Order: sequence, then C-alpha cells, then structure tokens
Amino acid sequence: MQAAIRLRDVHKHYGRRDVLAGVSLDVPRGGRLGLIGPAASGKSVICKLVCGLEQPDRGEIETLGESVVGKREVQLGALRRRIGMLFQNYALFDFLSVEENVAFPLVQRGGMTPEAIAERVATRLRAVGLAGSEHKLTGELSGGMRKRVGIARATVADAELVIYDEPTAGLDPVTTQKIYDLLAADQQRTGATVLAVSSDVVALAKFVDEIAFLYHGHILYRGPAATIGDAPDPLVRQFVRGELEGPLRMEEQRA
Amino acid sequence: MKGPRKLIEGIGGGLVDTSRAAIELWLVYVGTIAGIIRGRRGGRPRGEIVRQMYSVGNRSVVFIIVTLGFIGMVMTYEACLQLQRVGIADYSQVGSQYIKLIVSDFGATLTGLMLATRVGAGIAAEIGSMKVTEQVDALRMSGVLPIDYLIVPRFIASVVMTNMLTTLGGTVMYAAGGLTAQYSFGVNPSLFYDLHLLRPRHLALMLIKATSYGAAIPVVAGFCGLRARGSSDGVGWATTAAVIGSSFAVIVLDFVISAGALFLFGGDL
Amino acid sequence: MKWIENVGAGAIRIAEEVGGILLLTWQVLRSFVPPRVDRQELFKNLHKMGNRSVPIVVLTAFFAGGLMTLQTGPFVKKFGAHALAGWGAGYAVLREIGPILIALMFSGRVGANNTAELATMTVTEQLDGLRALAIDPVRFLVVPRVISMMVMLVALTVIGDLVALTGASIVGRAMLDIEWATMFHSFADNLKPYDFLHGVYKSLAFGGAIAVTSCYFGVTVRGGAVGVGKAVNAAVVAAAVSIMLLDFFLTYTTG
Repeated sequence: MQAAIRLRDVHKHYGRRDVLAGVSLDVPRGGRLGLIGPAASGKSVICKLVCGLEQPDRGEIETLGESVVGKREVQLGALRRRIGMLFQNYALFDFLSVEENVAFPLVQRGGMTPEAIAERVATRLRAVGLAGSEHKLTGELSGGMRKRVGIARATVADAELVIYDEPTAGLDPVTTQKIYDLLAADQQRTGATVLAVSSDVVALAKFVDEIAFLYHGHILYRGPAATIGDAPDPLVRQFVRGELEGPLRMEEQRA
Repeated sequence: MKGPRKLIEGIGGGLVDTSRAAIELWLVYVGTIAGIIRGRRGGRPRGEIVRQMYSVGNRSVVFIIVTLGFIGMVMTYEACLQLQRVGIADYSQVGSQYIKLIVSDFGATLTGLMLATRVGAGIAAEIGSMKVTEQVDALRMSGVLPIDYLIVPRFIASVVMTNMLTTLGGTVMYAAGGLTAQYSFGVNPSLFYDLHLLRPRHLALMLIKATSYGAAIPVVAGFCGLRARGSSDGVGWATTAAVIGSSFAVIVLDFVISAGALFLFGGDL
Repeated sequence: MKWIENVGAGAIRIAEEVGGILLLTWQVLRSFVPPRVDRQELFKNLHKMGNRSVPIVVLTAFFAGGLMTLQTGPFVKKFGAHALAGWGAGYAVLREIGPILIALMFSGRVGANNTAELATMTVTEQLDGLRALAIDPVRFLVVPRVISMMVMLVALTVIGDLVALTGASIVGRAMLDIEWATMFHSFADNLKPYDFLHGVYKSLAFGGAIAVTSCYFGVTVRGGAVGVGKAVNAAVVAAAVSIMLLDFFLTYTTG
C-alpha cells in the first residue's frame, strides 16, 4: 500500500539557516504520526511542504500519491482540497463568521447544495461543542474555541489527510485532553491519515501511533508512541521527560 | 580588500532582490489581469466587489474632498499671487488654464496620490495581516488563488472608484479654486468658470491617468501585503512599502503618460 | 437612522483623534522645558530617517520637477516662450509641489515606518516596560523623533528642491529643446529667495505634523498585527490631511 506522505532527502533553508537538511519521512495511509522537536526546528515547515504551501530547495515530496515539488499554484488546488489543515495560530478568516469559516472548504470544493453544506457544518460544530456560536465572528472567541473552529474547518470536508500543527499549544490540560479526544474520535470515524505536530509530548503520545523526533534538520529518531519515554537516544529521552541534564542545552532549545 | 568586496556583494545582492521583487510584482499583475479575463470568481462571496467599492470609494470621499479642496484653494491662490507680483493684474486666464490643468493632470494625479496613501496602505494592511496570520495559506489550502480572491475584487473596485473620485476631486478643486479667486482676488466667477480651453483629449488623458493609477495601487499594495513576513512588524513594513511603492507608481505613471501626451499633441495639448 | 449613528460615531472618533494628537503635541512641547533630550536616541533617529529617505526623495523630486516642466510644455511649444518654462516650473516646485510631494513621500517612508516601529513596541508591551522603569515614553521616544523628522524633512526639501530644478531642466532640454542656459536664466530671473524659503519653512511644519501624527497612532495602537496595519494606515491618512491643511493656512497667512 502506498504511503500518504513520502519525503525523500528534503532540504529547505530560510536566510542562512538550514532548517531541513535531508529529511526523509513516510506516513502510511491511515497512520497517525506525531512530530516533535525543539522550538523552530522546522516542524511547521514540514507541514507546509507536504501541502505545497512552500517549495523545498531539494528533495522529493509525494502527498497522497502526487508529487508536489515544482507544481504551480493552480495545479495544487485539487490535491489541497483532499487535505485538512489546522494552522498553528488557527488562521481563521477574521472577515467570516464561525459558520462561514467551517463551511469555507466545502463551498470552495463545490458540488454540494447549500442545505447539505449547512447540515454538515452544523453537525461538525456540534461535534466540537460549538453549537450556538455559529454567527459569532472569530475575533469574539477564546483561544480554545478558536482552536475548535480550526479543527472543525480542517475536518469538515472528510479529508484523506489531516495535518494538525500544534493543536493544543497554549491550552490548559483539561482542554488539551478534550481536543485530543475529539481528534481521535474524528480519525476513528474517517480513517484519515494524521500528521500531528506538538511540543506537548505526553498528551500527543496518547493520540498517535508513532512519534518522530526532528532535531537540527534531521529526523533523529522514530518509534512507537507508547514507549517514547524509553527511547534509546538520550536526546529524545531528555526532551520527552523534560530533564535539565543531558545533551540538549538551553541555547539549542532556542535555536 | 574586504571593503570593496562587501560593497560589490551588497550592490549585487540588492540588484538580485530588486529584480526578484520586480518579477514577483509583474506576476501579481499578470495574475490579476488573467483572473479578470478568465472571469474566475475564485470562490469569492457574492457582492465582494461591491463591498470593496464601498471600502475604496465611499470611505475615501471625505478624505478626497478635504485634501483636494484645500490644495485647490492653495493652487489658485499661488497662481493669482504670482500674477499680482509680476504686475499682471489680469486674472481672466487663470480659471480657464486652471480647469485645463485639473482635467489633464492635477485632478487625477492628486487623487491618485491621496488614494495611494489611503487605499494602498489599507489594502497592504489587510492582506499583510492575513498573510502573517496564515489566512492566506488557509485560502490556498481550500484550493483558492489568493490573487483571485483578494486582489481581483480590489483591483476592479479601485479602477472604477479612482475614476469616480477623480471626477469628484477635480470638481472640488475647481470649485474651491473659484471661491478663492473670487474672495481673495475679486475674480468674477463667470470669468473663472470658463471651459473654452477644454478639449476631449484632456478628458481622455484624465480617464487614462485615473485608470492607470487605479490599476497600479491595488497591485502594488497587494504585492506588498502578500510579501509580508513575521508578525506585527512585518505588517508594518508591508504597509510602509505599499504607501511608498504606490505613491511612486502614481508619480512615474503621471510622468510617462504626460510625456507621451506632449509628444503626441505638442503645442495643441 | 443608522447612517446618522454612523456619522455621529465617525465624528466622535475624529474628534478623539484630533484631541489625542493635540494633547501629544502639547506633551512634546512641554518636554522642551527644560530641554532634556536623549542624545543617543536623537542621533540614531536622525541617521536612520535621513538615510532611509534620501533615495526616494531624490527620485520623487526629480520626477516632480520634470512633471512641472511637462505641464508648461503645451504653452511653451505653442508660443515658443522658452524663457517662461523656468518661471512656471520653478515657482510651482519651490513653493508647492516640491515641499508637498517630498512631505508625502517622507510621510510614507519615515512616518509610516515610525508608526510601525512604535506600534510594534506598543503591542509587544515595550512601552509598559519603559514606564515600569519610570522613563517617560514621550520624552524618551517621541521627542527625539519629532526633532529628527523636522530637521530631516527640511534638509530633504532643500536637497529635493535642487534635484527638482535639475529634473525640470533635464526634461526641458530633452522634451522641449530648452537650452540649459535659458532654463537657468529663467529660474534666476523669476524666482526670489523668498519662494525657496516659503517652501522650506512649510516643510518644517509638515515635518512636525508628520512626526506627531505618526507617533500618536504608533503609541495608541490596539490588537496585534491587524492593529499595526490599521495604525500605519491611519497615520499616513492623518499626515496627508495635516499636510494639506497646514499648507493652506501657511500659504494664506504668510503668502
């Protein structure tokens, strides 16, 4: 069975910094991969490369069986409509209401009657616990609510691949757990492939099957999520357990 | 040897950046025109163009009236003052020359400059904010082309509204100038409001200029907005660049079109 | 009835802004007694503002001078009145078009940039940081900027006037076959030192207006990246209106 995401030796630099220096990564269809790593290690860049929002300097990227490298914007539209994405800072449209935000991917995809769209949106909003906020503007919502609108928008079109960039950053532990339950229930329902990026390893590990550790532009480790705390690599162990002593130092955390 | 080398590197790097920016700007322009010609709605909500017309046009009305009104008064005042100084107390030509100048140049150009400030900054601030909050990426994820969705409606609105506001601004300038001439220099209004020097070619020039400025402002400002990086500082930079870029575009376009017209018509202009 | 509300709300907002700008002007003036200015901040701003705006001002001035010659073109061509081109172009450039266009460009380059900078400092709570250290932001940040902008705009107007007259001569030579000497004599015979001074002292006022409006919208910004964009937009609009109003009053009162 072909992989949903396939990266081969991907390089990407910003300014003088090599963010990705030869990343190779596979996610099987229906698989759930968590991606962790220090701040600014290039996790979000991988998410954007997978959808063709950014182009790599070098390397191959295949998403849902299609190559995204060197494609023009117009050619990528059809592929992107098969992907759902939750952006790190929600990226909700501030000129649209909650309902219109969630309906946006469906409206753009076309082929559905307005009634069918409205029904699907209402179902999704109920699922994320936002029934009753349909007509609010996104600026009026709290952080947790915005995140849930973002999740509803990412999953409303039953995408084959869903990418969650920091689904729980800045949320309290209870809300975090609720969000992950929501994501898990949705994945069970659709069987979509999931790529989730997070710094909160403990909560993430309960949701995904496998975890990959991105460090200095390379995938340093990849293994089952359940046993990530006992990974053979001392760097990974230190990062997961949040220990002060170890090979990972402060300045690298910041880098 | 480090100094010269660094300088050359700096100049070279600047040239590369500038030409890359020029190519990107050109692509935005081509993309906008292509979007209009193909008539793609680009997934825009219904009535988006009308909304943009309101935002570009109606919300600039007071601004245009105030700025062009005052500058109209100043220009007439200065012209009459100069005639008075050199001892030609004959103001009979002021009004007819003035309306010719307004129609063939100042009406459109000053309106264009003012809109470059207001509308250019507004478009760049809006699109720049959307860019840094990843809303532009979210659009792309739904298979929407940002140029079709964001720039095309602003482009159409701006072209239409710049023409209308030029007409308004020119009228205000003319009226304000007439009042100044009457109250400060005692020029009879019937002598001032004299249209005999006006030719259809002046009106054509006004339409060409207003349309060019109206087209240039949203493209330059949209381009600056789409290039925004970072967070709030990125939006600030984009807005600044848009004001400068679109104002400068107006001045250069004015120069090119005026020179072309002079070349074409010579003394008959 | 809705539109009456809108008009009223708009009027109140404008009154608030004008009041705020006047208040800030008063605070700036009061800071001159006793005249204590942060020298380092002052020189940094002078350097930065001058450096940044010279290229755009020179280009603008060149085109402005050329444009004014072009406007005299039909007249010159029709009547062969070569000696009058310098009069019309020079008078318009020195007294009005030069100072106004240069001020508008300065407002776009330096004023807008200043708003963006101060606004970013405000939204990232750096101003509160200063207040916590018992440093008055007006005295420390605003006053040096006001002085710098007034000084720099005057300097740039002087440079710009020369460039504009050069531009007028070049365009006259290229498009209208006016000899250099004819143009020069036309300038020298018809322009008085006062015409030049008139433009220069106007630019001093424009510089002050640009500085105060740009600082005002910078320090009163609300709400993140969106707010910064809106603040810059409001600042350049307010600066343009102030320039036109000041130009009118100064021309009327001092001829």
